[in-house]
Amino acid sequence: MSHLNVKVAAIEQVTEHVKHFTFISENGEKLPAFSGGSHVVLALNINGRIHRNPYSLMSSPLNTEHYGVSVRKQEMSRGGSVFMHEQIKVGSRIQITYPVNLFSISKLSHKNILIAGGIGITPFLSQIVDLNRMDTEYELHYAYRSPEHGAFRQQIEDMCGERSHFYVASDGQILDFYALLSKQPLGTHVYVCGPEPMVNAMIAAARDLGWPEKHIHNEQFTAPQAGESFKVKLALSNIELEVPSEMSMLEAIEEAGVDAPYLCRGGACGRCELDVVSCDGSIVHHDNYLTNAEKTGGKKIMPCVSRAKCQQIVVNL
Amino acid sequence: MERQYWIRSKPVYTSLLWHEKATAHLVIAEGDGGMAVLKLLQQKYPTQQVNGFFVKSPNALKNYADIISSLAPAEFKVFGNTTEALNSLKITLADCCMGTCFYVAGSEGFIWQVAKVLASVGVQDDDIDKELCGTLARTVYCVHCKAITHDAHHSVVACSGCQRQLFIRDHFSRRLGAYMGLMVDAEQPGILPSIEEVYP
Ligand code: FES
Repeated sequence: MSHLNVKVAAIEQVTEHVKHFTFISENGEKLPAFSGGSHVVLALNINGRIHRNPYSLMSSPLNTEHYGVSVRKQEMSRGGSVFMHEQIKVGSRIQITYPVNLFSISKLSHKNILIAGGIGITPFLSQIVDLNRMDTEYELHYAYRSPEHGAFRQQIEDMCGERSHFYVASDGQILDFYALLSKQPLGTHVYVCGPEPMVNAMIAAARDLGWPEKHIHNEQFTAPQAGESFKVKLALSNIELEVPSEMSMLEAIEEAGVDAPYLCRGGACGRCELDVVSCDGSIVHHDNYLTNAEKTGGKKIMPCVSRAKCQQIVVNL
Repeated sequence: MERQYWIRSKPVYTSLLWHEKATAHLVIAEGDGGMAVLKLLQQKYPTQQVNGFFVKSPNALKNYADIISSLAPAEFKVFGNTTEALNSLKITLADCCMGTCFYVAGSEGFIWQVAKVLASVGVQDDDIDKELCGTLARTVYCVHCKAITHDAHHSVVACSGCQRQLFIRDHFSRRLGAYMGLMVDAEQPGILPSIEEVYP
């Protein structure tokens, strides 16, 4: 994959746990155009190892002088977000991928309902710019824990006006998916981004009410989780490597110098799928892409998020 | 016929089955599509509201309208022609919400006329269950003069616009609700392949 070299131009502490980073291109030129909902993958060199984390672009698609991403510090994660919060400074140089959009507004929609939970608000900030420009009907529903956690609320009110609705859990304001989704006109599409339980509850409610699948969109990127280390053999390239506990299988493959395909790095898009030739243990699937039958079948793995509990797993790469 | 490989644009038709998860149901059928409606009525009837539209056709095997009217627990509106039915459908659609499930049955031409009306309110092709009934007759669009020819039963049909002999492909345009027709004797005028009745 080809990369862009960017430099951190500004950092802003948005809430206690969220920082916003502004990137400009290293050579001072404009960055590539993108559409609302796109993400980029940041390559972070953490203790000599390259971690690659996807983040939604939340700056305006109309201004590519810079890109903006927001990162919530996840203490429990493998360290990418902590590294962004603690090590990245103004002037730091980072390599990022070209923007990819796996969460775009459907061209067939007549109305769009955007539902965000917490930091899941980020992809919607760039989408709103597109929606305002296209003059498409939409509503934004943003739920968060308590007033201090309502990142970008003012900006959203300015951009969306009456189309924005806020639900602050600490004030007892609950977003009722059934009430929201049961009276929508035909041609409505719904988009959700947020913590997994919220995403799942929204999807379940929409299905329960008879919404067709093509109208339900989610960006459920799971962050790769740490786990036990295991050995991987790449049958086609004839390379053996070890996946350390702190690294994803995809990152380990990349570190071995093999160019493996990917887009979302969050178990959502299906691009990184590998065929499993053999595995002397079990596969621990963390993705939202494979069907349950495929997961139990044990013949496929999504190396961006999934791992194996075994001595050795052999894949066709 | 092209049997060697699957043309992606070729529509898929199934047997109609009620969706259990729904907020309302809309059934739209024509002619022999009445049989698909009767099969629906044999299944466990939905608890949600059902709206029915039926278009009578002189070509249908039976007078399904009467049987449906006597069997259906909810009113099935019966129409003498498709235009009237579609006009009435449009009025009903204005009050429909997301969660309404759509079931369409009848000839291919009818199915795609309905799909076009539904698309205008944002209901996508994939959201609609369709059952092809009665005839496989194809609507054909001529790639040369753009004219539409209805009710083609044979592998080759004369274009209603330019009179060229068209070979009917499996490529289907959802927008036009018709299959692509290509001049069959372009290289050797007048030399036609054997013509078979493949869409009875
Ligand atoms: S890269 Fe998208 S599922 Fe792995």
